[in-house]
Amino acid sequence: MNERSQLLKGILEGCILAIISRETVYGYELAVKLQQQGIDVKEGSIYPLLLRLQKEKLIHGEMKASGSGPNRKYYTLTPAGEASLKAFRENWKALKQPVDQLLDEEDS
Amino acid sequence: MSTLVEENNEKRNQLNKENKKIYEDMMVYIRLSFNKSDQETEEVLMELLDHLLVLQAEGGDSSELFGSDPRQYAEDIVGELPHTVPKEMMALFVMGICYFLGVYMLSTGLIRKILLYGFQQMEPTKLYSLGTTAIIIILGSITISVVGYSVFRYIKWSCFRDISKIKEFLATGFIFGIVPGTVFFAMYFWLPPMGPMLTVPVYWLGITGAVFLLVAEILRRKD
Repeated sequence: MNERSQLLKGILEGCILAIISRETVYGYELAVKLQQQGIDVKEGSIYPLLLRLQKEKLIHGEMKASGSGPNRKYYTLTPAGEASLKAFRENWKALKQPVDQLLDEEDS
Repeated sequence: MSTLVEENNEKRNQLNKENKKIYEDMMVYIRLSFNKSDQETEEVLMELLDHLLVLQAEGGDSSELFGSDPRQYAEDIVGELPHTVPKEMMALFVMGICYFLGVYMLSTGLIRKILLYGFQQMEPTKLYSLGTTAIIIILGSITISVVGYSVFRYIKWSCFRDISKIKEFLATGFIFGIVPGTVFFAMYFWLPPMGPMLTVPVYWLGITGAVFLLVAEILRRKD
């Protein structure tokens, strides 16, 4: 998987927003959740993206003590993040079917 | 802030030798990108450390986290870190200058004091020609800035590389010791006295130095 590709980065950002919208997660947890969904990216690639999403104020990260364990940075969606996820969902829906169709036609 | 750094220092010891080497290179490289926000930098370093520790416990390899090109990965992280506010940068710069002047004046004052009382060597006052002193301070600050910047660049360059300790010692000694040392010596001995003269009692040097150090210390605490 070419991690440099802008398209993939955009999609991965959308997926990260979707996961964070469901529940508050920390970095490692997020990597595991992506993998469980079958989205197989280098685990480390989430951290530059998390930084960018924070810079764009789509997510908010906060260091919190986790029960017994160490301080962890937990991420939540901001209102701007909610809006961005909504836009991603619509864009994806609008693209998904035509692209699938186009590629299927080429295959056959 | 400093608690994050301490926590990092402690936790880092749980890494095995290879992971520690690559993580510390990553850490130094990212921390040395000095126009970046400290808080964000330490937070992402802690996240990476926690992640690497989990990988290590599971028997995984650091390449799963940093990819095949750790330097590029460090660049990716640095590229996304928010910039520090110029005000903080300025405070840091002023702090550096205050430390430099403080140490310089305090040590000059002390050494002269000791020479004066211990060996009856020196006069109790020092004669400064203002023009020459101004040139020394300006050229000195420039030299120190250039050397400081070179140190930054060198350490960053040396991350993720295996460099022989002897070569490193010789090269760094030359660039960061001999070159600036020569500049200061040359200025000290060859610059003719220029401008109006000013006689300063030696203990004033010490007192002024202490004040500069105090200001630097207050600036550091405030951070």
